[in-house]
Amino acid sequence: MLDGRIQELESSLLARITSARSAEELEAVRVEALGRKEGALTLIGKEMGKLAPEDRKRVGALLNGAKQKIEAALESKGRQMADAGLRVRLDAEWIDLTLPAPGPRRGHLHPMTHIQRELEELFVSMGFTVLDGPEVETEYRNFDALNIPATHPARDAQDTFWLEGGNLLRTHTSPVQVRGMEKLGPPLRMIAPGRVFRNESVDASHEHTFYQIEGMMVDRNISVAHLLYFMRIMLTAIFHRDVNVRLRPGYFPFVEPGFELDLQCLLCGGSGCPVCKQSGWVEQMGCGLVHPNVLRMSGIDPEEWSGFAFGLGITRLAMMRYGIDDIRLLQGGDLRFLEQF
Amino acid sequence: MKFSYNWIREFVEDLDCAPGALEKLVTMKTAECEGIEVAGALLDRACAARVESVEPIPNSHNVKAVVDAGRYGRKTVVCGAPNCRAGLITAYAPIGKKVVNGVESDGMLASGAELGLNRDHAGILELDAQVGAPIGGCVPDSIIEIDNKSITHRPDLWGHLGMAREVAAILGHALKDPVRPDLLPQGAGGIRIQIEDLDLCPRYSALVFENVTVQPSPLWLQYRLTAIGVNPINNIVDMTNHVMAELAQPMHAFDADLLKGGTIFIRPAKAGERFRALNEEEYTLDPSNLVIADAAGAIALGGVIGGLDSAIGDKTTRVVLESANFLGSSIRRTSSAIKLRTDASMRFEKAQDPANTVRGLARAVELLQELSPGIRVAGGVADQKKDIPAPPPIELPLDWLERKLGRAVEPAEVRRILGQLAFGVSEPKRGVFSVTVPSWRATKDISIKDDLVEEVGRMVGYDSITPQAPLVPTAVPPENAERRFQHQARQIFADQGFTEVYNYSFLSEDTARIFGFDPAAHVRVTNPIASDQALLRTSLQPGIWKNITENQKHRDTFRVFEIGLEIHKPEVDLTAEGILDLPDEIVHLVAALYDRDSDGVTGLFEIKRAAECLLPGARVCPAEARSFEHPARAADVQWRGETVGRLFELHPSLVEAGRAAVLDLDLQAVERLAAVETKYTPIRRYPSSAFDLSVIAGLREQVGKLESAIASFAGPLLESIQFVREYSGPPFEAGRKSVTFRLTVGSAERTLSSEEVGTIRGGIIDGMRELGYELRV
Ligand SMILES: [Zn+2]
Repeated sequence: MLDGRIQELESSLLARITSARSAEELEAVRVEALGRKEGALTLIGKEMGKLAPEDRKRVGALLNGAKQKIEAALESKGRQMADAGLRVRLDAEWIDLTLPAPGPRRGHLHPMTHIQRELEELFVSMGFTVLDGPEVETEYRNFDALNIPATHPARDAQDTFWLEGGNLLRTHTSPVQVRGMEKLGPPLRMIAPGRVFRNESVDASHEHTFYQIEGMMVDRNISVAHLLYFMRIMLTAIFHRDVNVRLRPGYFPFVEPGFELDLQCLLCGGSGCPVCKQSGWVEQMGCGLVHPNVLRMSGIDPEEWSGFAFGLGITRLAMMRYGIDDIRLLQGGDLRFLEQF
Repeated sequence: MKFSYNWIREFVEDLDCAPGALEKLVTMKTAECEGIEVAGALLDRACAARVESVEPIPNSHNVKAVVDAGRYGRKTVVCGAPNCRAGLITAYAPIGKKVVNGVESDGMLASGAELGLNRDHAGILELDAQVGAPIGGCVPDSIIEIDNKSITHRPDLWGHLGMAREVAAILGHALKDPVRPDLLPQGAGGIRIQIEDLDLCPRYSALVFENVTVQPSPLWLQYRLTAIGVNPINNIVDMTNHVMAELAQPMHAFDADLLKGGTIFIRPAKAGERFRALNEEEYTLDPSNLVIADAAGAIALGGVIGGLDSAIGDKTTRVVLESANFLGSSIRRTSSAIKLRTDASMRFEKAQDPANTVRGLARAVELLQELSPGIRVAGGVADQKKDIPAPPPIELPLDWLERKLGRAVEPAEVRRILGQLAFGVSEPKRGVFSVTVPSWRATKDISIKDDLVEEVGRMVGYDSITPQAPLVPTAVPPENAERRFQHQARQIFADQGFTEVYNYSFLSEDTARIFGFDPAAHVRVTNPIASDQALLRTSLQPGIWKNITENQKHRDTFRVFEIGLEIHKPEVDLTAEGILDLPDEIVHLVAALYDRDSDGVTGLFEIKRAAECLLPGARVCPAEARSFEHPARAADVQWRGETVGRLFELHPSLVEAGRAAVLDLDLQAVERLAAVETKYTPIRRYPSSAFDLSVIAGLREQVGKLESAIASFAGPLLESIQFVREYSGPPFEAGRKSVTFRLTVGSAERTLSSEEVGTIRGGIIDGMRELGYELRV
């Protein structure tokens, strides 16, 4: 008799658990079934004492089985309901992640800064120190100490901004060579990137203000072969690829011998194109072995020490690297240009 | 400088290298070639032809001519030249058939200009030649253009012979010298010469010629000069230009009958002396200019230009031919002072060879015999010169040469190269050459052994040197802390949304005044490109202001910054004592934030936040505004006890629409202060306590000051004080605000008891009350 009641209760309670719609409803079913005083299954348990011993075991097992099923059903249904609730709450927290993030966007470094930093890092890694020199220089350091006396025709090639009192705006970074030798003494390896000035009218390919990097190494028995070695490493690093260079005679009063260094045209690989004027080579920079007069004027004995020096126009380098066709953009301050770097 | 390949070929025996290949070799070993042009392209096909008949073409000024064109046979051509007439021997060029004025024209009759012989295009050539003969013996030529900048140190390369010597050395061929010194007449000089200063004019040589006929030069000479860009004028002037282009020796011819007195003076000009030059300009001279003068006055500006009043003309029959040498720097000074550069002055500037003057005269004698038949030399060479000792020989140790080049060169090869370039070589000690320098390389170009490294190096070819790493000890380079810090600052500002600009170092007086800067306090450019670029900037702010004005046309809001140099006159000007100090150059960072639709507040705080990224813990202390600053929004920036910059809003009258916040930092000072060593302090083991305090204060009272006051009363157990909020409005009366701070206190040794915390709090409240502040507790 009890067997039938238990089975009946079990199936009706399980059905109600399945159909429960809320946590309250579920709790009501739990109390009705398992409540400590009035729960239907609890009450049956109390009636067990009246059963014959031979029935007690069987009915007890049946009752426990029913209780366990109902408890499991309650727990599972309860968890279902909680999960569903969390889902609803979190769903309400939907946001549009495609909206732009607030706050400023990262700014941009000037293209010349990119190039200068790259070169500085390269040379520091090869044991060169980075030196600064002033934009205003003495006539002595800009010309005389570089073996360019006042009567020298090379002065014509460098249209100079003169300042009241007789100083000048440096026409090249080469005076930093002089400062480097005075400051560091031999042996030394230095570079000096910086702003230089020439009194020229400005158009798409000419500027009165531009950037150069000067480099110098003074040590024992420095040769043209060593110069070539460093120039090739430098240009390979700058252009991120193997380059071919060649030296040909070039005249700069502060080096002897002096060279123009040509880079095999990166566009055509040397077969000739409009950029290299069909020659296969592009004039890149001036360099040479430091003139003994220059060493001597900076207090270095040319019989004991020798060195090489080079000067590279990095404004032109930046223009090549980024394909900039108007030099004026570099100092024009136009954000539409600067934000591209 | 233009070089004729055919001319060079006259001096280089068996020159078998084509112009294109030669151009490359010269570029690699001597001087930079800029290209080759063909001159006289038609000359290999053109020939002399006789005009047989001419008939007019209706409604045209052209005529139809039938010519006997030698090997080309009889041709009909349409010709527009006014001198086209039957019987004329002229030049015919077979350039193909075309129909002109309805007549089929087969080829052309050519003017001198059309053939490239001269600049004459007034009519077709009038020749005295056999029909079918080539034109004046002229053939097409290749003109090689050399970059002048690459031969500024080589006086000898301003003439064809010098270039030919290079070519001969490059190819290993023999060189032929066109000069025949035996042609120079012996005996006393044909004119007296008096040089006042032998430094300015180390040599002056002259010849006098009689029975001169001034006439057009033969076609070969006209062609030769035209091809290298020189205008043919007459036989005498053309001869001087020929010698100059050949030997790099400028010359000048005077009409001897127009000179006063029998002496040529070489002297400084008198102050205010006037001179009429060949270019028909009149110059007023001063003693820094060297003149050639006769008894009456200047007849030439030495080394620059001849005088109009003694110029060669059609009637000239006697000529004084000058071949002189001048001090390069003096010529350069005069030529730039009067803004006149001539073919002569360009050459003299490069320090020409004094030994070359009489060589030029010898060549002139030879040429004039052909150009002016019947000409006679009157007297011998007049020649006054400075004694110039031969330069001492240069010692060239061959092992040293090898170390310099980074490759070995056989002694025999060194000897061959130097010998071909006309150096004298002997070997007094084994392995050491003693090298004498030819006079034309000794004026300026070559005086030390390093100069010889170049001679050998370029001739063996720099491409024969293998790049090689130097064997030197590794060394850590001394660090440039300033520059590294500047790069850090750059990166920080870029990360905070600021874009880097590079502005010019120049400033206009007007802009200086707008910013209230005294123009007189600036370093001034004496030769500015434009009057608005005459001052050097003492601040980066005007540049940034310009960036704001220009970018606001395209952007509603943006951030920019620049790191650059302020240039300040030295504090004490010692110029009067002959001491020329350099200006003080100080690295600054100026950043600006522009916003069109703003009251400016957000921008100021945003730029202040950016400043704190670089200067953690910086304080901002309101200060009196300068004229270009917003009067109520300007402050000093302090860091680690020093004022290092300025934070302000640009005066709204300087910004057309919107607001601009500006930060200006002295990066030099900041970098100095930034160098602090970091030391670890142990993390506290005992919990801290926190409490809030609200101070009632006047509306314009600075939170920063209240904070400092509270901190000063909190004592040593204060860990931190933080601004929480400020509030004005009810229940506070108008003009008052409540400012709330959160204080954290604690100790490294123990947990503070509530009594201890209460004591600290009480101390602050008492202290603030004593200063007259009410506290909401
Ligand atoms: Zn190319």
